[in-house]
Amino acid sequence: MAEDLVLDTAIRDWVLIPLSVVMVLIGILRHFVSKLMRSSQVPDAKIGSEFTFRSFRARRFYFSNEENGLLHVPKGQAPNPQAQMFSDPNMAMDMMKKNLSMIIPQTLTFAWVNFFFSGFVAAKIPFPLTQRFRSMLQNGIDLSTVDVSYVSSRSWYFLNLFGLRGLFSLILGEDNATDDTQRMMQMSGFGFDPTKSLGAEKDSLDIVQHDWALPKFEQRAEAVLRKVLS
Amino acid sequence: MDSIPTFNAEHLQSNMKTIYYSRTFLSIIGGVIAGIMGFTSLTGFIFYFLIMAITSVGLLAKAGFTVHSYFDSWNRVLLDGFLGGLMSFVLFWTFAYDLVHIF
Repeated sequence: MAEDLVLDTAIRDWVLIPLSVVMVLIGILRHFVSKLMRSSQVPDAKIGSEFTFRSFRARRFYFSNEENGLLHVPKGQAPNPQAQMFSDPNMAMDMMKKNLSMIIPQTLTFAWVNFFFSGFVAAKIPFPLTQRFRSMLQNGIDLSTVDVSYVSSRSWYFLNLFGLRGLFSLILGEDNATDDTQRMMQMSGFGFDPTKSLGAEKDSLDIVQHDWALPKFEQRAEAVLRKVLS
Repeated sequence: MDSIPTFNAEHLQSNMKTIYYSRTFLSIIGGVIAGIMGFTSLTGFIFYFLIMAITSVGLLAKAGFTVHSYFDSWNRVLLDGFLGGLMSFVLFWTFAYDLVHIF
């Protein structure tokens, strides 16, 4: 290190701290916005508890019987996975919303940082790095004489973007909006295999224990009515 | 016990989540401490390794030193969340170090 740069304390007060705080707040805001926009998932009710045992069996047979059940996909006749995916508009819509709620705040913050803070040396990382990291850490400063461990404000934004993921998972719980990227990749990665997912659905339907929600409800209704009348 | 150990996937997942949380939490706290103490270059990374080692020992102690009744392998306790924590550690280390020592 040839010589130390002297950074103005005003940079700390007006660039470094506001930038970090805004990144955290925007992360939190994005979490709640995406939570609002997420279409509500249908809750997994206890299957069939409102039917009698006979009608439950009939319905289950309708879905899961081996020859022509609704959930039975014949081998080699699987429809085009792409078409299958778009036949569920809710899913595509959900993904689009998530995408939007990711991209819009990121673009906005990036534009904001670019507009107000371009060209600042905002921070200094406490360990030396090789010249290759210059383009990564000093994005926006075109000086080749500055020591590489000085970080420009735009690069500080990127550091925040990646490093705050852990903090978000602590303060927002594990299913926060930042995790959605991974889920999205998984989803779009291997399309939708109807044989597999319908098979799983069928299996889980097969092992459902029938549990009627209204056992002896005639007697109970009678008791209640008697109480009301008397 | 039969020869093939079986695991309840949900419980295993919740245990791993706990590990992930404690590691992230400690790496953030450790980063702030390292920054305030003014560690630079190698010292800071050694400090991170130390923190992670302490975390591992703490997790082991919490599991009563019987890893296989909570996790399916030793690597879960010793290595999981190591790199994810490093990013948070570096960020908070830099942040605290800059606030205290640079300006």
